[in-house]
Amino acid sequence: MMQKKICMLGGFAVGKTSLVRRFVSNVFSDHYRTTIGVTVEKKSVKVDDRDVTLVLWDLYGEDEFQRVRDSYLRGSAGYILVMDGTRKATLDTAIALQQTAAKAVGAVPFVSIINKADVRSEWEIDEGVIEQLREGGWTVLFGSAKLGQGVEELFVKLATQIVQTSPIPSDSL
Amino acid sequence: MKSWPDNLALHNESLFNAVLSTLDMVVFEREEDSAEFRLQGLPPDWWCMWVGPANGTVLDLGQCSPFLRDYLVGAHPIWGGQSGVTEKSGPWTEPDRQGGTMTLEATALSIGSKKLLLIERLGSGFEQMHAIVQRARDKMLAEDVTAKSHRKAETSLMGQLEASERTKDDALALLQHLRLAALVLDERGCITFASDRGLEMLGLVAKQVIGQVWEQALPFQRQDRSMIREVIDASSTDRTVGPLYIEGPHPSWVELEIHRDPRHLGRQIVVLSDRTELHTLRQALSEQASFHDLVGKSPTMLRTYQLVRDVAQVDTTVLIEGETGTGKELIARAIHFSSARKQKPFIATNCAGLTDSILTSQLFGHKRGSFTGAVNDQQGLFEAAEGGTLFLDEIGDIPPQVQTALLRVLQEKEITRLGEAKPRKVDVRVVAATHHNLSEDVVRGSFRADLLYRIRIARVQLSPLRERREDIPLLAQSFLGQICTATGKRIERLNPDALRLLMSHAWPGNVRELKSAIEFAVISCKAKEVLPIDLPPEIISAPVIPSSSVWIPLPNRDEKSRFLAALSDAKGNRTEAARRLGVSRATFYRRLVELDIDPR
Ligand SMILES: Nc1nc2c(ncn2[C@@H]2O[C@H](COP(=O)(O)OP(=O)(O)OP(=O)(O)O)[C@@H](O)[C@H]2O)c(=O)[nH]1
Ligand SMILES: [Mg+2]
Repeated sequence: MMQKKICMLGGFAVGKTSLVRRFVSNVFSDHYRTTIGVTVEKKSVKVDDRDVTLVLWDLYGEDEFQRVRDSYLRGSAGYILVMDGTRKATLDTAIALQQTAAKAVGAVPFVSIINKADVRSEWEIDEGVIEQLREGGWTVLFGSAKLGQGVEELFVKLATQIVQTSPIPSDSL
Repeated sequence: MKSWPDNLALHNESLFNAVLSTLDMVVFEREEDSAEFRLQGLPPDWWCMWVGPANGTVLDLGQCSPFLRDYLVGAHPIWGGQSGVTEKSGPWTEPDRQGGTMTLEATALSIGSKKLLLIERLGSGFEQMHAIVQRARDKMLAEDVTAKSHRKAETSLMGQLEASERTKDDALALLQHLRLAALVLDERGCITFASDRGLEMLGLVAKQVIGQVWEQALPFQRQDRSMIREVIDASSTDRTVGPLYIEGPHPSWVELEIHRDPRHLGRQIVVLSDRTELHTLRQALSEQASFHDLVGKSPTMLRTYQLVRDVAQVDTTVLIEGETGTGKELIARAIHFSSARKQKPFIATNCAGLTDSILTSQLFGHKRGSFTGAVNDQQGLFEAAEGGTLFLDEIGDIPPQVQTALLRVLQEKEITRLGEAKPRKVDVRVVAATHHNLSEDVVRGSFRADLLYRIRIARVQLSPLRERREDIPLLAQSFLGQICTATGKRIERLNPDALRLLMSHAWPGNVRELKSAIEFAVISCKAKEVLPIDLPPEIISAPVIPSSSVWIPLPNRDEKSRFLAALSDAKGNRTEAARRLGVSRATFYRRLVELDIDPR
């Protein structure tokens, strides 16, 4: 079976852990327990009738206390950049992390998501900026780990891109 | 370099196990050939629970954990390199099989020929570090929320401000649309707002008034300003002032309604209303009481105003007859300024006491050298009055030759300057005046009959003041007002006793005498009203006739009976009779002869 390593990247408290837990276990908690280090979870999805096991590396959020180490990114088939719609600064962090990731693992597929769509009225990231990201080649999705909106699509979309760009199914790790 | 024993565990097995247990650590040695890991010493409980009890077992660690597998791939260079070099994996989390999680960290190192892998469970030190990072991040999130709520409050305040600005703009637009003329004054009397219509009405632009003290900025007259100030200062409910006169290119009359701003005591909202039209209408009504500079509303005067209006409509010569001081020149002016010629000159001259040649030269002009002293060419009054009106006072006094010349001018409408041969065309209306009875002068032969008929085409006869006594209060008050304005004195009225004296005086000098009496009184007056004592002595000293029998001659009574009545009232004293009739003694005597009255 095909296994693909996917890293969850983003600023702290954007909802990386929440997205993974919603996707893997379909649970959500309002309580915030920051991740230090890495938690690895697995979940299989079907892409074009093929089962692909996603090995999800939920990394700690990047900030002044913790910088993401290149070694964690090693071997990723793709990554997810998570932003918190209610905090504009998380967009800048995502942009910086995308560059770090591209350097560490090369031009692998990635998908970005602006999380916390359930509190859209409090969003600080406006359409203009999102449009700019899209023009820069980003896939930008909206979602809510809290409501489960756009979560499945997020992972399936990235899995699809990974499968489509990986030539032969033999690269399973 | 330090040399290490080949089998660490064998050296002092119990010590080694104690160290591992204290550090919560499991140690593996990497088999050189198989790349498998062999457990060294006693593993701690958590390890056994995670992978099962396997002392000394060879393990495929890559199967235990995807994180570990990745790490081991990356750790190869460490085992291939120098002794003593280590590399840590960084923490990762694994489920602990009891429903909880544990955080682990791996370290790869080589000691001598041995390639080792240490896996430790991070304990209280890690938890402390986690708690600190957690607190820091919670704090940052909380601050973010606070900052955001501040921003939100700010935005909403800005929004409210904008909305209130908009409301203000709307109110302003409404104000301008309704063409409401309004000003707002602050506590210090500075103008803080002026609507467009208000500015228009005052004949000003915004920059002349905004921020200025109203008393300096608004074009009101001195006495009107003090009236406005009184209303602003007073607590009275009637807060209307005016209509007040505003000078300027378009003189107007405005009324002010002064309201206190209910939101800011001390501030005033002034609403202006244009009363110009109303004022004009009122004036038209009160024209019954005054006409041009003429004052009086007696039936005689009202008839005179009408006559003046009628005469002004036509362009004929007019003769004004009346005693001295009755205002003949005023009538002439009124005729001129009510006529179509009002934009052209009005020239007045008195013909009395002038010699033949001087009067001729004055009226018709002369050529240089035409007589001694004629050093320049000079135009006469007829030419000067071209297009307008020439008023010839005391026309009965002009010498015969000039009468002839004047007649020709009136007939031919041309004049010839003294010393010139060629006549010049003139378009001048002649208004003449006399205090003589010109008919009698004609009989006596001192005035040309044909000239009389020429000038008497229209005729205005002015009654002496004593024949229109009801106008005395009005005239007196009007003179009082004029003189006070001119002198800056503040006298409001005539005391009733003073007025009674004025009413009973004979006024031989007519309106002119009344005016000088008031001038005299204003100078003497020390109070707010004119007292009898302020009047000229000849008015005070005259015997006061009880008001019931105030001597008012009946206008229709014929002159002879008036003279007889005056003589009888004066008990035959001719001087007193003349005084009572308001004529000079000479005139009195002459009239006695003419009227065939025997004075005895
Ligand atoms: N309203 C809302 N809150 C969310 C959503 N997703 C996550 N959160 C909350 O956001 C906070 C952070 O969520 P985590 O999933 O721990 O974020 P993280 O990116 O893993 O954070 P770090 O591990 O510290 O980097 C938690 O309090 C969550 O309950 C969402 O979709 N909507
Ligand atoms: Mg997390």
